[in-house]
Amino acid sequence: MPPTSKKPLPLRGVRVLDLTNVIAGPVATRMLSHLGAEVIKIELPWGRSVGNMAIFTSDKAVERPYNKNAGFNEVNRAKKSLALDLVDPRGKAIFKELVSVSDVVIENYSPRVMPNLGLTYEHLRTLRPDLIMVAMPALGSPGPWSNYISFGPGTEGLGGMCHVTGYEDRGPSKPGNFYSDQTSAFHVATAIMAAMWKRRRTGQGKRLEIVLRDVTMAVIGEKFLEYQLTGRGPERLGNRHHGIAPHNVYRCKGEDAWVVIAVASDEEFDRLAEATSNLHWTTDTRFASMAARLQNQDALDALIQKWTILRTPQEAMHHLQRSGVRAGAVLKAPEALADPHYKARGFVDHTHHPEDGDFKHPGVSFRSTGPLTSLGRRAPLFAEHSDWAIGELLGHPSSTAESLHSEGVAPLVPVVRK
Amino acid sequence: MNDPAPIERPLDGIKVLDLSLGLSGGYCTKMLRDLGGEVIKVEPRGTGDDTRNLGPFRNDEPNIETSAPFLYLNQGKKSVAMDITHTDGRHIVERLVAESDVVVESFKPGYLSGVGLDYESLVKVNPTLIMASISYFGQEGPYSQYEGSEIVAYAFSGYMYITGDPDREPLKAGGYQAEYHGGISAGMAILAALNYRDMTGEGQYIDVSTVEAIASTFEGVSYYSMLEREDVLPRRQGTRLIHTSHRAPYPSTLLPCKDGWVHVHYSPSFPDGLATLTGNGRLAENEVMTAMSGHADEIDEAVIDWMKDLTREEVFELSQELRIPFTKVQSIPEVMSDPQNEARGFFREADHPVAGSLKYPGTPLAPWAEGELPESSPLLGEHSNEVLRDSLGLSNSEIERLRDGGVI
Repeated sequence: MPPTSKKPLPLRGVRVLDLTNVIAGPVATRMLSHLGAEVIKIELPWGRSVGNMAIFTSDKAVERPYNKNAGFNEVNRAKKSLALDLVDPRGKAIFKELVSVSDVVIENYSPRVMPNLGLTYEHLRTLRPDLIMVAMPALGSPGPWSNYISFGPGTEGLGGMCHVTGYEDRGPSKPGNFYSDQTSAFHVATAIMAAMWKRRRTGQGKRLEIVLRDVTMAVIGEKFLEYQLTGRGPERLGNRHHGIAPHNVYRCKGEDAWVVIAVASDEEFDRLAEATSNLHWTTDTRFASMAARLQNQDALDALIQKWTILRTPQEAMHHLQRSGVRAGAVLKAPEALADPHYKARGFVDHTHHPEDGDFKHPGVSFRSTGPLTSLGRRAPLFAEHSDWAIGELLGHPSSTAESLHSEGVAPLVPVVRK
Repeated sequence: MNDPAPIERPLDGIKVLDLSLGLSGGYCTKMLRDLGGEVIKVEPRGTGDDTRNLGPFRNDEPNIETSAPFLYLNQGKKSVAMDITHTDGRHIVERLVAESDVVVESFKPGYLSGVGLDYESLVKVNPTLIMASISYFGQEGPYSQYEGSEIVAYAFSGYMYITGDPDREPLKAGGYQAEYHGGISAGMAILAALNYRDMTGEGQYIDVSTVEAIASTFEGVSYYSMLEREDVLPRRQGTRLIHTSHRAPYPSTLLPCKDGWVHVHYSPSFPDGLATLTGNGRLAENEVMTAMSGHADEIDEAVIDWMKDLTREEVFELSQELRIPFTKVQSIPEVMSDPQNEARGFFREADHPVAGSLKYPGTPLAPWAEGELPESSPLLGEHSNEVLRDSLGLSNSEIERLRDGGVI
């Protein structure tokens, strides 16, 4: 929801120096930017390299490919960009000047990097006493794995998420793509806002460490209690539920077309039977109670699929929902973009990028009566705000900026990696 | 319970009234409690919160005090068991709202206006109120009255279509990920609203849709854009990352070894590291290195061949020694006792009067303080007297009258 008046966004006046790469860190700072913070992305001088992102818009040879990385442009929208060599003393000096006028510094390097650069919280707080500094290590400390490295998906294996995700008859799996990165990002944004709120009261900054694997364990927290309470290590259930049946995905009419149905009570089961013209299910002893339905769910699932297979996912969903049955089409991306509900709520974020064209992105997941978020803002070009940061923000003469550009300390186009 | 030394948390002093039932609101107010907020949970008399009835239960015996998700989500909250549809109950909610900074609820859209406890009514008793409503499809929109559940939200978000194996049906993630994301989004929005209130003195009403919450994580690879710009439908790829280019880096997937599964991942800073690790020179050849995703099957084969006689532990140590980010897949009990979690004391034990002594995971939002022990989840109605007497100043006879009237 764009601001409808001159009222401030919640994080107005908050400046964030963003040293993060890949997904989890950039999504966290993008959220802060959508909420009103000014986020300056400190980019690597050699650009948005292959390793930064697993996805490219295209294989085609293009000019300035570093500005046309679709994945980068998605997770870094609504930010400013300054490329800076933090190993070079001049680059480090610029960075420290920026720290002195910033509220938050956030990084997601492996734990050795910031100390090696001499950019620890202990040091940076001498430049900005109320600094909030955020680290996002994979596995946290202390412990034998403290310096081990992992991206988000790897923490899902170590944290138990993979073990409890998957088909009953196959090996472990994982939620599609970068799930734990996004999940971590939102925890990080929340923790930073809590520290901001506290700082308004005490004037004191803080060092935060949000451990990626901790987030992965937190969102399956009940599994650890289940193990202790039942004595059984929770296993993969596919699309089923330990206490609810039917609870599954059913094939529909069309190619790779599916609908999910979950029936949590006897009353709901009666509604399902009626909605599918199978009233005899309500008197079938195999389905007479939740316990019976759990016992006989293979047979029940087969019967339900006889009904769904004749309908598209959307037909099945809307028909069942009109009868008060919990059902949902398994949407494909184009169907989500076209769906009237998402459209009516204005969920999709539209941006235009001067070198990479128009984008549609999943938007922010909350609406408000207040001015909470500002969308529609694209990712920066590489080093787009270099002159602004060095000249306007820090007050250096243009000759300084020019020599920093030409010597590769604050390059305007990516330099060859040292 | 012993009173430990006070531990400073950022939201100390913030009061949260939790009218929500279920997993999404439960995780939202767990986050607020983890950050130091005081959470008073209003539960229906008799059955309590939905998660009390969800299980699994201790020894598989249904008991509203031993349900795993309830015990996890409600640590440190206070429980008042009360009928909010009763006039006296509604008045008590209003008085609690007047003393609260934040209200969280997760009823079906429209329900609270029916009992006179919607935002428009409550803002009259607390003009700076921050209220968050969590529902499956949101407060507005053509499907706002549809029924939801975790799997329904996961499916309708688009996430289910890209989870699972290409030769099988779409797959739901383990646990309750869509529900948790509804809670995370509400928690995040509440923190933003608290900062906004500091600046302006104004509260606000927040509408969170669980469907949109999980859909908002459906990115990082521009699924929507892949579709429109490349004419590629993002589709489930097993445990591999979805890509549209044969040049995209690889591997990032789960592969089997001698005693289980390993998450294998390329190293951006050590591009030929896989060849070094496996001793297989083919993986360093230019043809493979410049088109890693194009050689995914071949890379899988080479890595499996190297790992087939190695344990998960051996693969994990050998790869990490070379700074290659492989990890291992651990079961739930293995996670609880791995050396890193042991060294950090991530799982800590607390006693519960009915469920017994259990180890609880820490929170990512605030590290354990030294010697800190987990808080227990409340028994149903455990704090009814305390809240009504100490917070609202009701007399014992007034409380007695409410109890006799079936309100509490």
